[in-house]
Amino acid sequence: MENSSSVTFYDFLDKMRNPSSLDLVRSIKSFIVSFSFHAANPENNGKRVQEFFSTMEAAIIDHPLWADASDEEIDRAMEGLEKYVMTKLFARTFAVSPEDAMIDQEISEKICLLQTFLRPEHLDIPAVLRNESSWLLAEKELQKINAFKTPREKLLCIMSCCRVINNLLLNASLSEDHVPGGADDFLPVLIYITIKANPPRLHSNLRFIQLYRRQEKLISEAAYYFTNLISAKSFIMDLSAKSVSMDEMEFEKSMEAARQANNSSQVEHSLALDEASMLGEHAYPATATTIETETTTSGRLNYPYMEAEPGELTVEDVERLLKLYKDVVTKYTSLCKTVRYLSMPRMGVIPPPSRGTGALSSQSEETSANASHQANSSSILEGTDFLSLEPQETSEDVHHKGEVQRSENCTKEVHKLGVDEMEAKIVKGFQQNTD
Amino acid sequence: MGCSSSLPGRSSEQLGGLNNNPETNGVSDAKNLRVKLVLLGDSGVGKSCIVLRFVRGQFDPTSKVTIGASFLSQTIALQDSTTVKFEIWDTAGQERYAALAPLYYRGAAVGVVVYDITSPESFNKAQYWVKELQKHGSPDIVLALVGNKADLHEKREVPVQDGIDYAEKNGMFFIETSAKTADNINQLFEEIAKRIPRPSTSS
Repeated sequence: MENSSSVTFYDFLDKMRNPSSLDLVRSIKSFIVSFSFHAANPENNGKRVQEFFSTMEAAIIDHPLWADASDEEIDRAMEGLEKYVMTKLFARTFAVSPEDAMIDQEISEKICLLQTFLRPEHLDIPAVLRNESSWLLAEKELQKINAFKTPREKLLCIMSCCRVINNLLLNASLSEDHVPGGADDFLPVLIYITIKANPPRLHSNLRFIQLYRRQEKLISEAAYYFTNLISAKSFIMDLSAKSVSMDEMEFEKSMEAARQANNSSQVEHSLALDEASMLGEHAYPATATTIETETTTSGRLNYPYMEAEPGELTVEDVERLLKLYKDVVTKYTSLCKTVRYLSMPRMGVIPPPSRGTGALSSQSEETSANASHQANSSSILEGTDFLSLEPQETSEDVHHKGEVQRSENCTKEVHKLGVDEMEAKIVKGFQQNTD
Repeated sequence: MGCSSSLPGRSSEQLGGLNNNPETNGVSDAKNLRVKLVLLGDSGVGKSCIVLRFVRGQFDPTSKVTIGASFLSQTIALQDSTTVKFEIWDTAGQERYAALAPLYYRGAAVGVVVYDITSPESFNKAQYWVKELQKHGSPDIVLALVGNKADLHEKREVPVQDGIDYAEKNGMFFIETSAKTADNINQLFEEIAKRIPRPSTSS
């Protein structure tokens, strides 16, 4: 499934490179750029993205490139669009509000405590449903939720987890004299698995799916299982002695003991958390970052804001940023001129910019060149955004080639690793080949 | 007791099919309705058995029926040549999950509240759910009260008349069913289908 979805995605990118979709590309890029002008307000952002998806869907339906396209083809294009837009906007949309980060931490800490003493019998999970290997599989599926960047893929992790539980329930009802309990059986198992898995940034991931998964896709079965995980999260947050089959005194004692144990190992704990969050970052290496890291390693010290998040910047940074920005643009434009100059004698005409893969790259070059004449804050954002757009586009193209070559023998690996990790691997491999 | 034994052995392939399924695209017009139905009731009253019975009874090898443990969907055709696709959301009936119910019944077009005719306690719980749905459910929600396990005459503790009276007072549809014998199961869903308000067309 992941594999076919990446093929779908390259199909979308190919269509976007078609000259006739220049208007669509412009809309997409201007939407992505416009996003940086607004303060991070998750609700508003979600609404804006959903509205943009609807507008684009209408545009795609009317577009000559999709003339006579079936509903399915339109849907595939929209899946591609969602993936493209949300990958670009990930840093600006995922877990951006401090409250969300706090809730994530709160849940995670509570789960850590519960993990030390909560047993299936405390949720009255019947013995026939206690199957360690199924549970482990379901936990693994759920933990993957933080390793993906797009709402669709995150949602698929929830669906896979629930599918494992459903299979367990079905097997139990087939093999034993167990009356199928439907949700009476399903929810407690999901809650227990969520506690065992302690999926990273649970709250933020759920919110991200809710806000940014295309609304017509968060319905029906997907909506049901999504709701169940929200429900599990909510149950865990409010979990007290009253909500489990456990003596109140014993519950409080166990919680206190877990807190004590946690405090005494707090140093290790915080280290582990740091490590986990770092691993979290590495689990979804932005392909753009990968490329940027590779190409700017030598100049890393000169560009100290490469890893900076918007929230960390202060007013004082603006001056420095502006200086750096001008520096980068100057270098970039002269580099472009040189490249153009070097390739001119052989071609006889002005060639399309470097690889000439179409609208995305040529437009970005134009814009950043123009932007160098303006020194206001909007051009900073515009310029940086396009600068970051181009490398990513390159990486996707590289990935595309890599994918075609390797698609046959890597299908299984993709399933195991997830698309983003796979992308990073392929990009790296490709670079080694070309270097 | 409760559900009969044979379960269709087609479980795994269904869940992941989030995309490329035109049926999930929310196609809902005057002739083909897609309806969210939420099931509420004490644990052990046989909510999921009713649904399994309904889905299996109508089993049509050409239809893409999703067999999950707690989410099922089933389309029925009515005599006026319209179809209704029920998307059935089961809820956990244990008391400790009661506070989570609003997450499930939000936006539901139909609420089916089930009790067990051998358990007065489950009938009390059913009344609690009816009140909750009336207060917090969608304003035009279609409500049905279902007394299940009607095959257990000799153990009956909730008289039929109590169910009828309560449903009448609250303007809801009432029926007694047996998931075990399949009695009245189809009638329940057909009756609900008839009561669902149609999107206003020219008529």
